[in-house]
Amino acid sequence: MIKAENLVKSYGGTEALRGLSLEIADGEFAVILGASGSGKSTLLSVLSGLEKADGGTIECNGVRLDTLGDRELTLFRKKEVGFIFQQYYLLPHLSVEKNVRLGADLSGNKNYREIIAAVGLEDKLDRKPSALSGGEQQRVAIARALAKNPRILFLDEPTGALDEKTGREVLDYIAGLHKARGFTMIMVTHNLNIADMAETVVKMNSGKIVGIYKNTERKSAYEIGW
Amino acid sequence: MIIGPKDGFKLAGISIVCFCAVYVCTFMLNYYLDVLPLGDTIPEQFSALYKAQLATATFTAAITGGVLGLIAVVMLVFYIKLYIDGHAKQLGIIKALGQTRGRIAAEFCVFGLSVFVGCLLGFGGGWASMRVIYDGLTIEGIGEIAMTFHVELLFALVFAPTAVTALISVTYAYFALARPVSELLRGKCGKEKIEREGKNKDRSFLAEMCLKTLTAKKSLAFFVAFSCFCFSAMVQMGLSMENLTTATMGYMILAIGIVLAVVTMFMATTSLVRGNIKNISVMKAFGYSLRECAVSVLGGYAPFALIGFGAGSAYQYGLLQLMINVIFADVGSVPEYSFNVPVFFITLAAFVLSYAAVTLYYVLKINRITVKEVMTEN
Ligand SMILES: Nc1ncnc2c1ncn2[C@@H]1O[C@H](COP(=O)(O)OP(=O)(O)OP(=O)(O)O)[C@@H](O)[C@H]1O
Ligand SMILES: [Mg+2]
Repeated sequence: MIKAENLVKSYGGTEALRGLSLEIADGEFAVILGASGSGKSTLLSVLSGLEKADGGTIECNGVRLDTLGDRELTLFRKKEVGFIFQQYYLLPHLSVEKNVRLGADLSGNKNYREIIAAVGLEDKLDRKPSALSGGEQQRVAIARALAKNPRILFLDEPTGALDEKTGREVLDYIAGLHKARGFTMIMVTHNLNIADMAETVVKMNSGKIVGIYKNTERKSAYEIGW
Repeated sequence: MIIGPKDGFKLAGISIVCFCAVYVCTFMLNYYLDVLPLGDTIPEQFSALYKAQLATATFTAAITGGVLGLIAVVMLVFYIKLYIDGHAKQLGIIKALGQTRGRIAAEFCVFGLSVFVGCLLGFGGGWASMRVIYDGLTIEGIGEIAMTFHVELLFALVFAPTAVTALISVTYAYFALARPVSELLRGKCGKEKIEREGKNKDRSFLAEMCLKTLTAKKSLAFFVAFSCFCFSAMVQMGLSMENLTTATMGYMILAIGIVLAVVTMFMATTSLVRGNIKNISVMKAFGYSLRECAVSVLGGYAPFALIGFGAGSAYQYGLLQLMINVIFADVGSVPEYSFNVPVFFITLAAFVLSYAAVTLYYVLKINRITVKEVMTEN
């Protein structure tokens, strides 16, 4: 379980998070919605231990993140979390396979080929990212994040750089893998339709949560007609 | 105008290398030109010394000028390639808008500016220290040697190098910009080849990262090796040649060696870390430790550092032997010289310490890269 209380974070004069509290259960799929600049990425980076909050507490699977130092936070990320970013951030000079090993090696996962196959890229193992389409690149990023067997997966607009059809495919991959493996998933998005796929929807505005609701009925990427 | 004079001045590393080269060449060649006409007035018994001093001057000027000039050109080409790769998108857009390759390439001549600045300062610096050098290279039988200004040296050491480097920049850019617009727009650098990994398929991520960072930036291995070569050769030479020239010359060589080593190492490592900021921050996000990040980016270059150091030691020994056997051969009092073992170990210790310090500096720099910064930048 992830439990954050009274999170505060500012950059210079900008208050990105202004006393925010949130609880997400294990295995849950939560979506964070909000306008640009409302603090979604900041929340994600604080929850995942990429950055330290200025104030407030975060408890993640029983560990108090706000009390950890840099080294311990790194270890926490190594063991617990995976990331998928809007811009993929694949290592351009390494092949698909080695990009996935970036994640796999961290948890000693030898079966990373299975995951590459699960995202449908087993025939492109030796390609460099620049020789792949945007959707394929994002699928490599998914494989990279999942290959380290994270307990929590953080996604910052994973479909933001993709066209509709490819975005839907990528989302479907993610949703399918989430169902099969049962990790916790926290996704930031601008797309209101995607919210219908999640169990919990968190709405943010100027560094605060303005509403949380649960979906009783979840839809697939195809049903939301997106 | 795509490339402003600002881009040209940014290459401080090249300016410094040019400064060192021209600095030494200025007083050495000026000395040569001033002393050469005195040949007839030298008493017979001093003519061997006279020839030795002339040879020292040409020899030193040729070695420093040649080696450093070459390095400056390699650095320049490296920077231009880096610039083109880094600005591939902008250049692609300009090309797509119909600007001709020649017009874009012509703007790269501003990269000659850094050479101009370095050479001009080197020339001035050379003149400022000329009296000291002249006093160190006196020849018995002639009194104080007068310093004369030779305008042809100003041309050869300042204007000619500037013109040549500007020309090289433009030519190199012209050929580098031959890539099709679509490729430039995708920000793709160089050819893509799908490689068969064969038996290396099982290499771990960190090992692969180390190796591919190295092969992606091969020229940096050269700079790292050169930096260590300079450090090793010039520090050892400076410390062990006291019998061969004046103490001032020794310290000068020592100082130039350290400056060159620091400049090239700094340039190589900075561009390495800068070019890998995104990769490092992703690695950090995923939970790789600082040490793992630093080793995977910088580690592949360590063998080249050692090779450079070894080659530098051998080189300075060979050079000093050559100086003794060739230049001082005619002079009666041939100084004794053998490989200076204590100096070697002192230099080695200083080298290991400096290398560790450089690595530590970059580990701290990597520590400051925040993942969020990279994540939010689009
Ligand atoms: N590293 C930073 N330095 C300075 N200001 C920052 C930094 N990161 C975020 N901010 C500021 O904090 C506020 C929240 O930013 P954040 O990136 O969390 O928004 P967001 O909801 O993710 O926006 P978007 O939808 O555009 O990605 C913004 O005003 C932003 O300018
Ligand atoms: Mg954001």
